[in-house]
Amino acid sequence: MKTENKVLACVDQSHFADYVADYAAWAARRMDAPLEFLHVLDRHPEVAIGNDHSGAIGFGAQEALLSKLSEQDETRSRDAREQGRLFLNRLRQRAIAAGVEAPDVRQRHGALEQTLVEQAEGVRLFVLGRRGESAETTQRDLGRNVEQMVRALHRPILAVTEGFKEPKRAMVAFDGKAVTRKGVEMISSSPLFRDMPVHLLMSGKQRKDATKQLDWAKATLETAGIEAPTALIPGDAERVIARYAQEQDIDMLIMGAYAHSPLRSLFFGSKTSDLLRSAKIPTLLLR
Amino acid sequence: MNSLKQDWLSNVRNDLLAGLAVALALIPEAIAFSIIAGVDPKVGLYASFCIATVIAFTGGRPGMISAATGAMAVLMVLLVREHGLQYLLAATLLTGVLQIIAGWLNLAVLMRFVSRSVITGFVNALAILIFMAQLPELIGMGWQVYAVVAAGLAIIYGFPYITKAIPSPLVTIVVLTIAAIFLGLDIRTVGDMGELPDSLPVFLLPDVPLNLETLQIILPFSATMAMVGLLESMMTAAIVDDLTDSPSNKRRECVGQGMANIASGCIGGMAGCAMIGQSVINVKSGGRGRLSTLSAGVFLLVMVVFLGDWVAQIPMAALVAVMIMVSIGTFNWASVWNLRKNPKSFSTEMVVTVVVVVATHDLAQGVLAGVLVTGFFFAHKVGQVLYVGSKSEDEGRVRSYSVIGQVFFASAERFVSSFDFKEVIEKVRIDVSRAHFWDITAVTALDKVVMKFRREGTDVEVIGLNQASATLIDRFAVHDKPDAVERLMDH
Repeated sequence: MKTENKVLACVDQSHFADYVADYAAWAARRMDAPLEFLHVLDRHPEVAIGNDHSGAIGFGAQEALLSKLSEQDETRSRDAREQGRLFLNRLRQRAIAAGVEAPDVRQRHGALEQTLVEQAEGVRLFVLGRRGESAETTQRDLGRNVEQMVRALHRPILAVTEGFKEPKRAMVAFDGKAVTRKGVEMISSSPLFRDMPVHLLMSGKQRKDATKQLDWAKATLETAGIEAPTALIPGDAERVIARYAQEQDIDMLIMGAYAHSPLRSLFFGSKTSDLLRSAKIPTLLLR
Repeated sequence: MNSLKQDWLSNVRNDLLAGLAVALALIPEAIAFSIIAGVDPKVGLYASFCIATVIAFTGGRPGMISAATGAMAVLMVLLVREHGLQYLLAATLLTGVLQIIAGWLNLAVLMRFVSRSVITGFVNALAILIFMAQLPELIGMGWQVYAVVAAGLAIIYGFPYITKAIPSPLVTIVVLTIAAIFLGLDIRTVGDMGELPDSLPVFLLPDVPLNLETLQIILPFSATMAMVGLLESMMTAAIVDDLTDSPSNKRRECVGQGMANIASGCIGGMAGCAMIGQSVINVKSGGRGRLSTLSAGVFLLVMVVFLGDWVAQIPMAALVAVMIMVSIGTFNWASVWNLRKNPKSFSTEMVVTVVVVVATHDLAQGVLAGVLVTGFFFAHKVGQVLYVGSKSEDEGRVRSYSVIGQVFFASAERFVSSFDFKEVIEKVRIDVSRAHFWDITAVTALDKVVMKFRREGTDVEVIGLNQASATLIDRFAVHDKPDAVERLMDH
């Protein structure tokens, strides 16, 4: 069961699942890692589907109610399981067509976040959609689960958007902090970005040692044989990154994620969330 | 943060509608049991509002309804009659404090000693108490009252066949009130029963002298109320857990009940606890989150305070109909229908619990009696699990006994009588390797057996005392110690 170093694609039943599957297949192929699809069936005992508001209880009310509710739950779980199985099989076919050998599929009961944390062992890369099922009905730019999941997981996470385009040019939103420095080292050793130019972009408030940091990152990447053009553009990080990505035709962004506490982001907003909203390209989040 | 949102906002529409249905079932109960306890309806209504509102925040079981209950009301009759309302309020505060302590001490784990049969008996007794509380409104009344109650029950159970979108108790109350006014029926109304709340509740401490004498008066009542309140709350929580297939925090619920009662005592309300019937109504109507409990309390207050003039017009008979429904819905009918089919011990335990409660009007005593009877039956049953066999060996010089099963106070006598002391024999070997010696009674019994054989001049060898028995023997037994006979004589 514990396949080491697998790519875990977390999907729900929205059309974003297709793109998650495509990117996961791409990553699995490049890293030569096993691929597994995970679909979480979240039961919501806190939500009632009752439409009986009569409030009348008669003979054997409690027993009748118990059997009725468990029957409802039973049919619901059974339907969800069958539907999920068919859905996962379709994604499996898609991944096989994209050239992945024997992808695995798995359905689990439970709450999303908790399930992922439980499954995290042996996972090298998570792939998930930036939006999901509820995006079909709401206008939210960023799925409500994303921040929570990214915070809970301590592995690299590829958060994909709508559409699939095989990545040709990647970019690191480089801030010289420990997480991104570690990220640069990881990129240099990972097969994921081999034969692909990885731009290094520094923006925002200028640090004193910015150039030195940038040179170090460039050197690290180039030693690994990765072409690494650098740019140092002052200004608002969110806007600079979005514009640079567009100008340079970047199709994958790499950055550190959620370094600050949830409380801080509640009051000041989170740079990571802002970037995930504004950058319309798949983003690899480093923890 | 996330679970807070989940507890409160994941089921808003259903929670609000369910809260309305529950509030309607709370009003008659609060009024009826205020009258039982001998206080104004105001006291029960304020209590119901306050407990439901506070427990919505502090409780450990979202979706469970707590308010002023019959189980608690019957316990306070004497206190109110002899010492008055202020002492009831003080007792309510103390009940809350005791419940919080019980929560900290995690006494909820004691619930595992209350068996299914006792729980069933508790629930049935509760239903009977609720029904009996309605009798003063029924016995010796004119035909109009019976007609109104019958019409009420017909609407309550008939209306859901037309639509389930609105609570049928609401329809019942509205229709019967209008009918009673138009027909000019001469029947008692809520207004006749005493003072209704005319304003929002205000904070005030009970007006009692703070001394030991007061404590002596209220402590026995508070202790019983705290126990009954927690018992019913834990049982109800278990029922709601089952219904919604979700876990609850029993410890937090205990503390929450305590806080709710303290709050209730501070605004002039009586003590309360979780309610089985209303919680079932809540879950059935789609209530799952804390919002359902909160809205039940708030709707109750809004209806009573702002529609007070209209509430005063409601015929008591209409509320009696609603309470008969709650009583029917709370009662576990299967336990009666299967009275003969269920194991005799189960039925006996259930019936004992019910009888004691109905006789004493004290659920705590009923549960205690039920637990005791359960203990007897259990000891008796396990006591049957004992077998002593024997065969002679070595050409009739040795008899070898083997003991299999449980030896303790309930089976010790049978254990002793299984040996043949009058047999003339050189040596007896007792193999207890497959037996368990549970208590001092069992150890004494083994000693007795060994002594009796020795008196006949028979050598005794006990083999295979297993680890569990051995520890007991080491501590308590005398036969393997030098001064065996003397010590045994002391016993």
